[in-house]
Amino acid sequence: MKILVAVKRVVDYNVKVRVNLEGTAVETNNVKMSMNPFDEIAVEEGVRLKESGKCDELVAVSIGTSSSQETIRTALAMGADRGILVETDDPIEPLGVAKLLKVICSREKPDIVIVGKQAIDDDANQTGQMLAALLDWPQGTFASRINIENTKAQVTREVDVGLETIEINLPAVISTDLRLNEPRYASLPNIMKAKKKPIDIIPITELNIDIAPRVKVIKVSEPPKREAGVIVENVKELLEKLRNEAKVIS
Amino acid sequence: MTNSAYQKIRNIVGPTGVVEKKLDQEKYLTEWRGYWRGSCDLIVRPNSVDDVSSIVKICNNQSIPITPQSGNTGLVGGGVPSGGIILSLDRMDKILNVNVSNSTLTCESGTILKNVQTAADSVDRIFPLSLASEESCLIGGNLATNAGGVHVVRYGNIRDLVVGLEVVLPNGKIWNGLRSLKKDNTGYDLKHLFIGSEGTLGIITRCILKLFPKPQQISTAFVAAKSIEKIIKLFLKFSKFAGETLSVFEYMNSLSVEIATNSIKGNRYPFSAFYPNFVLVELTSSNQNNELALTMESILSDAIADGTILNAVLAKSIEQRSNFWRIRETIPEAQNFKGASIKNDISVPISNVQKFIEEADQATSQIVPNIRHISFGHIGDGNIHYNLSQPTNMEKNTYLEKRNVLVEKINTIVQKLEGSFSAEHGIGLLKKNELTRYRSNEEVELMKMLKKMLDPSDIMNPGKLL
Repeated sequence: MKILVAVKRVVDYNVKVRVNLEGTAVETNNVKMSMNPFDEIAVEEGVRLKESGKCDELVAVSIGTSSSQETIRTALAMGADRGILVETDDPIEPLGVAKLLKVICSREKPDIVIVGKQAIDDDANQTGQMLAALLDWPQGTFASRINIENTKAQVTREVDVGLETIEINLPAVISTDLRLNEPRYASLPNIMKAKKKPIDIIPITELNIDIAPRVKVIKVSEPPKREAGVIVENVKELLEKLRNEAKVIS
Repeated sequence: MTNSAYQKIRNIVGPTGVVEKKLDQEKYLTEWRGYWRGSCDLIVRPNSVDDVSSIVKICNNQSIPITPQSGNTGLVGGGVPSGGIILSLDRMDKILNVNVSNSTLTCESGTILKNVQTAADSVDRIFPLSLASEESCLIGGNLATNAGGVHVVRYGNIRDLVVGLEVVLPNGKIWNGLRSLKKDNTGYDLKHLFIGSEGTLGIITRCILKLFPKPQQISTAFVAAKSIEKIIKLFLKFSKFAGETLSVFEYMNSLSVEIATNSIKGNRYPFSAFYPNFVLVELTSSNQNNELALTMESILSDAIADGTILNAVLAKSIEQRSNFWRIRETIPEAQNFKGASIKNDISVPISNVQKFIEEADQATSQIVPNIRHISFGHIGDGNIHYNLSQPTNMEKNTYLEKRNVLVEKINTIVQKLEGSFSAEHGIGLLKKNELTRYRSNEEVELMKMLKKMLDPSDIMNPGKLL
């Protein structure tokens, strides 16, 4: 069985992001970049399926600038076998990513594609679903547990009312939720091994896909600053302020 | 103290400068862990150098003891009062100047360490002093105790991070040594007399601190090794190949990592196999080129290849880095779950660290069989927090009765290995006996002469240190 995981290079989750001077995007110059945390979970799940003998080959795919190789290397250090980078300097919207991944799927013919449910930079939560639609494959979104049996996958999903377990036929697209697993650290011996694993770099133009943006960003701005609170002396004063200043009670 | 002195001091600082409510007094009177509780006639919180000076003059005239107090986060009881007044610097918390071209920051001594760090950060610099209590300890206390922490291996103790000081002397006069000079060979370097003096020679009121470039790259690894010997070997490798970037080199024995990962929620053991010893290594650089991770990888892979280390994991995100740090930082907290603990803060020359641990482990196990050794700390400085938790099957009090025997044994080994019985925590009340015991008569006499000359009426933090 072959599994493909998609990994995205994003601004590190713990960085306090700033809007660039032009007000068009988030500043990414000299900012710590890491693998999208949901994608890390996808890689970990793929590695676990490999370790359990259910997967023979795990391929990590990224779409982005040349620096995304570093993100692929992290996936390789966690246990993926080889990497593919679709290289582009332009930001690609989820539909474009899904189309590109579809092309990669037609070349690689994986049995499962595991993607993070969303990337923490744009929070779109669209790529997995769009990819499943374009491929006309079943999808198991927001997985908190995955069980593979022969040609089927049981996927436990976190839904509003609790947990829902569905069974889907392979090939399928699965998107990961936060509680699926806890990703491992990259150990030094594995980082060294990962340096020798192959990464296939495909210039985006070679794939001949329409990736023109469908959405136009008009403006990016920071949320309004929260004003400092006040400490009130007693309940009476609190009620007075709620009534007359905040006007939330009458 | 006399009522007139009381009134005079009260008049200097005004009603907001004295702590009169019983409930509010508690945090000044009680040592934060509850090991000591002192008493005094007045708790005063001046908010200017001149007020400090006037108060000290009154106290000097009437021989009223002064316990200078900072954040009250010390570990040896240096801020516990015995009569007289507590002079707290906690209202003198202003950052007065941040000078980017001089790379200095001037502040009052009651500034919280964290606020100094934040002010440095806002101009893209760092103030590298970093320790467990940084969100509540005050810079004056850091100076008075020559605080160390996790970055000493690269930046030194706070003594190395100061260019100028202002001190109110025991006679109430103000010595202004606030000079931002890197080079200033004009007689005795007086500031160093007050740094580490634990409030016995004067009250530090203002200081000029050194700032450093902010790291643009950080590479953090959690490393497993077979023995202390190998860890020292690894330290020498890092010193040789990454010397100027080596910022943290923190040792943890297997038990300290085990308790931190088992008893603290959110911590996770970073490996899948058992290892006997660990180090947290961090390299930082102000250079933006992304080469630091490669340096880290190349040193560690070399160390694996020649058998110096057994395994290592590298932080690939800020989250992973904080996970590694949290293990190291929660060891003291985790110890609280393991019953009574006897803590020793010792240092020996790096070449003797291995001998110390071997001999001390053996000797303490002979005194209390099944004693649990939780050793960790700044091994790059030869400083080990050599903590001893009680055996699981022993009564807490039975164990604590062995305290003196254990501490004495450890200190004897430390002395033999040319070390120090108090590496960074100071003397205070707790280690006064050790000072006279393990330091030469000449050394102690010289300290007493200095004290007597500067503070003839013995009003400054009496009963501490000497």
